[in-house]
Amino acid sequence: MTEQAAAGTGGRQRPVALVTGAARGLGHATARRLAADGFAVAVNDIADDGRLAGLAGQIGGIAVPADIADPAAGPAIVGTVARHLGPVQVLVANAAAMAMAPFLESEPDQWWRQIDVNLSGHFRVIQAVIPGMRAQRHGRIIIIASGWGVIGHPNATAYAASKAGLIALAKGLGRELGPQGILTNAIAPSFIDTEQLRVDATDAGITLDEMRRRYRELIPIRKLASPDDIAGAVAFLAGPRSTAVIGQVLQPNGGVTRTRA
Amino acid sequence: MTPHGAGRVAVITGAASGIGRACARLMAQAGWRTAGIDVNACGTDLSLQADVADRAAATAAVDQAAERFGRIDLLVTAAGYYEEGIDVADITVEQWDRMLAVILGGTANCCAAALPHMLRRGHGTIVAISSELALAGSATDLHYVAAKGAVLGLVKSLAMELAETAIRVNAVAPGPTDTPLLAPDSLWRKPDYLATLPLGRLVRPDEIADAVYYLATEGSMYCGEVLSPNAGAVI
Repeated sequence: MTEQAAAGTGGRQRPVALVTGAARGLGHATARRLAADGFAVAVNDIADDGRLAGLAGQIGGIAVPADIADPAAGPAIVGTVARHLGPVQVLVANAAAMAMAPFLESEPDQWWRQIDVNLSGHFRVIQAVIPGMRAQRHGRIIIIASGWGVIGHPNATAYAASKAGLIALAKGLGRELGPQGILTNAIAPSFIDTEQLRVDATDAGITLDEMRRRYRELIPIRKLASPDDIAGAVAFLAGPRSTAVIGQVLQPNGGVTRTRA
Repeated sequence: MTPHGAGRVAVITGAASGIGRACARLMAQAGWRTAGIDVNACGTDLSLQADVADRAAATAAVDQAAERFGRIDLLVTAAGYYEEGIDVADITVEQWDRMLAVILGGTANCCAAALPHMLRRGHGTIVAISSELALAGSATDLHYVAAKGAVLGLVKSLAMELAETAIRVNAVAPGPTDTPLLAPDSLWRKPDYLATLPLGRLVRPDEIADAVYYLATEGSMYCGEVLSPNAGAVI
């Protein structure tokens, strides 16, 4: 289905990708896509509930469960990956915590949990992968932001702030690391047809189909993204066709971020 | 190369040189049939010589491509030219009119010509080539920058108009690219300028074609977006 990103490495070792938040949804699809494209993939998520190990087995990679909000997690994850697969060449910063609440009712704990995982957690994971990328003079850092980080969203201020922070991180790292051969970019998806939709439907007290219908109405092209659509954007940024793309924010979200409320 | 393109048809304006030619080559390598529209002859499966600024000529050329191949899956509007180093006050009315006619008018003409063929089959992708200067502005060459900026307005509006169809319209905004449009003594080739870019080099035409290819093959969720492979010129 896809081009081999690893083509050109001949019979040598597969290049290594690390995907955080890979147990389900977008991260899961991304890990499978990168494996299909020729990467050795390490998959991280907060808990090893069997799904992570199952995915790792399925794609011939390894599982590196950890809560990236733990300050020790970033270096530990990257060290484990280096020992088993080699230095990380592609990082997909995807893990995220989200809690919806009106701004004035947001608990500080919820605020900081979202910042700690989404922004600070990836800050530390990124710090940990950079030395290996520098040594190879090649690296791709792909940050999964959010359309809400571009245009904001009511009752999601902490989440949107964390994702907007990730966009700024991608731009700053693009400038800072570009001269060293490390390309950093962000992707800002919006509504994706993942298991999260079922959670949203339950929260809203409606059926899954009704939830899908409501979200589709918010999307100009009237189509939810599939996890594979977003994984395709990751594969583009991870592969050989994006060598001049740096500090950009890809928005495969059906036009959501240009609609007006 | 994977057989993504088997049977598919790409119409590419400005395909005789530079970015348009790189796009045509890549799509051909990927198995697409290619029709090139240019004032000069193109090395495409079908070479159509026409001035895209002329609505009738552009329409005739696009129709000819559709007739020959039976379908149009992708339109890339890369036809254009650059006039560098002209101060705003020195741009003549003729220079302004011609630039707008080729870049903006040419894009509009070819979109208008290709859309009926895409709508008839219910799908299609349009990728308009803009410029990073449309995002960042430029101290000179206002007519070129204004035309490329207008292309972005066209793209975003057409994308919204067609949102509920399966036709996607997006732009690629190249950074300074190593094509014949940049004269050997161009400011954009100077080491002092290149040193300001995070990648420290010009963009290659094939890197622009790569972005077009991505939008053509996996871009179904992009609606009126601007993808800018620009070596870090605009972040």
